[in-house]
Amino acid sequence: METYLWITSVWGIYLTAIVFFGGMAWRIYQWATTPKSPVRLGMFPKPKSGAGRFGKLLADTFIAPQSAKIEPTMWIFAMAFHVAALGAFVGHLRLIHEFPFLPEWLGEAGMNTFAAWSGSIAGILMLVGVLFWIVRRTFGPYKSLSVPEDYLLLFLLLGVVAMGDHMRFVYGGVVHAATYREWFLSLMTFKPEIPAELLASNVGVSLGTHMLFTDLLLMYFPFSKLVHAIGAFSSNLVRSE
Amino acid sequence: MSDETKIDLELDLKGLLCPLPMVKVSQNIGNVPVGGVIRAVATDPGAMADIPAWAKSTGNEVLQAAKEGSEFVFLVKRVK
Amino acid sequence: MDSTQLTTLTGVIDKKMNRQLKQYMDICARCAICKDACHQYVGTGDFKYLPARRAELIRQIYKKYFTKTGEFVPALYEARDPDENLLDELYDSTYACTGCRRCMYYCPFSIDTAWILSVAKAILIAAGKGNEMLGQLADAAIFKGDNAEMFNDVMVSGFEDIQEEVRAITGNPNSRVPVNKEGADILYVALAGAHSIRPAAVIFEEAGENWTISMFEAANYGFFYGDVEKARLITKRYIDEAKRLGVKEIVVPECGHAYRVAEFFYEAWSKEPMPFKISHILEKVDQYIKAGRITVDKGLIEGKVTYHDPCQLGRNGGKFEEPRDIVKAVTDNFVDLTPNRAEQWCCGGGGGIVAMEEFKDVRLASGIKKVEQLKASGASVLACPCENCRLQIEELNEIHELGLQVWQVIDLVVAAMPLKGTKPTHA
Repeated sequence: METYLWITSVWGIYLTAIVFFGGMAWRIYQWATTPKSPVRLGMFPKPKSGAGRFGKLLADTFIAPQSAKIEPTMWIFAMAFHVAALGAFVGHLRLIHEFPFLPEWLGEAGMNTFAAWSGSIAGILMLVGVLFWIVRRTFGPYKSLSVPEDYLLLFLLLGVVAMGDHMRFVYGGVVHAATYREWFLSLMTFKPEIPAELLASNVGVSLGTHMLFTDLLLMYFPFSKLVHAIGAFSSNLVRSE
Repeated sequence: MSDETKIDLELDLKGLLCPLPMVKVSQNIGNVPVGGVIRAVATDPGAMADIPAWAKSTGNEVLQAAKEGSEFVFLVKRVK
Repeated sequence: MDSTQLTTLTGVIDKKMNRQLKQYMDICARCAICKDACHQYVGTGDFKYLPARRAELIRQIYKKYFTKTGEFVPALYEARDPDENLLDELYDSTYACTGCRRCMYYCPFSIDTAWILSVAKAILIAAGKGNEMLGQLADAAIFKGDNAEMFNDVMVSGFEDIQEEVRAITGNPNSRVPVNKEGADILYVALAGAHSIRPAAVIFEEAGENWTISMFEAANYGFFYGDVEKARLITKRYIDEAKRLGVKEIVVPECGHAYRVAEFFYEAWSKEPMPFKISHILEKVDQYIKAGRITVDKGLIEGKVTYHDPCQLGRNGGKFEEPRDIVKAVTDNFVDLTPNRAEQWCCGGGGGIVAMEEFKDVRLASGIKKVEQLKASGASVLACPCENCRLQIEELNEIHELGLQVWQVIDLVVAAMPLKGTKPTHA
């Protein structure tokens, strides 16, 4: 178990960080150094002011109102997934630092309850979103349009989410944020260690597998269609040019 | 001239707006043999420039482009 | 496929590469939200017309030759060579596309499929598979530009005939169709047909406009064909003419792509700033009506009137309100189609598809949404300022027995003007 964790949750993370940040930087560099389209590709209605364009950019990127109008079902699931993923990301920041104020307001037990509820909701929404996307790609035009990349990413996402949920639901009451924080901060300070408490609790398999999928997903991220996470801002801005 | 020329295909392009007369002539030129002639009658004056320009740029030959009353009559020979 | 052609075709992508294309290639999630935006996919259910699929063919080449992951693991992206199979499907899906960009409107990332297909057209042309008819139409237009002298007399005599018709309509023997008028304020670049000159001339003359007619047509089949150089040369004909005559403003006719080409594309093609103000004729007519330079009477047009936004003029050109204001000025009985403006369904006739007989079936099938909209509106008159749209809708009108009168907007205006002469009967 200890070896598995050292591979997936220590050295794997270092490798992932290098590939992910290096890959994203390389991707952005590529986009930035390719000349812009000579033709203005904007469409109407087009805001006249800079602030208007910025507002539309934010609305189009974060809310996608046009997509909501044409395919509400897809929009609801996609929105649920993305909002939940953002929530999960924010929750994971506790790995670096406990939230300010919240623990004082809620107390230790309250904070654990809050984390359990919000983490569970986010975890379920993400799982539902991923399952919806998987099912959607099994029939009709969605299937015809899909390529192995789509299934690979969904498989990796499913692994990340399922194992994250496993940790949340099975070990949520046993291992708390402080333990994980000890492990994660040791990575960040380049003095990696795996806390004895983690090894003792049997959460190791879940954590290791959660991290294995996360490592693979994030290492592939910069070379996959997931770069829409950054590219969408730029392409949606062009809509108003 | 039109009296002597053997017509292989008659095209009624009356009422069609440019560039459709040119499009129809182009679509039908393959339906006559090389050396064959299409007689086309159009009502849009734009055809008076369009059809000769099409013939020149595709290497075909306009034997006649004449205004007859409110109609424009073309004799187009397929060259290749 | 042989390596020379492969180098040629990938070279086309390389030459056409820009940030937008690269991002469109990299970020599409194949979510297929564009599926129900496309009138051709909705009308036929044929997978090759699904917008993301059309783009995917270019993406498959891009992944293999422009990305490392696609080069090493092509199977992951179904990356492949631009072989005959790919090019055949690409030909169908690219030249059938009307360029309406309704898919871009609904795409969460605003991916411009039409822009991707402009690269597809360049690839097809390089492979010797450009659409022959569109190529011929483009070449004929360039030939007219290169040999303007040859056509001068024919054109002038045509304009004189139209001038007579204009005088009959206005009842004013001094009405003119000015040709080659130096120092005119406006160069009106019409379509080749008299129908696009006659009513415009009536309106310009009645408004007391200082205008002149162009020897060239505003339609640009080089744009539809997908050859930037041909497209540039075709538009350059009237840009040079406008420079020679010293006009201030170029006015394009009731045509969708002519406006977009002049206002949005020509600067990029010619690599120089557009020296003239570009206006659509309906902007001018709207101004004339609002300024009282021409008079229109309500009540001369019978029946419920609706309006179709041509994609290139509306969603892609931004002219939503001017045409509507004109139609509302000539009738109180106006009803909008649903949806309208930016969400307007493409009629299915754009992109030069009406000139390509081989796409007739998909074209007519793709009009079903427009037919539904028109039926639901209950209108008996349709105002539509785009030639390709009108050709398509008139055909749909006949097939589906809609009983619609399909009008140019400027014809409606002339019909509503109190003039001394004889009104032309609507064709």
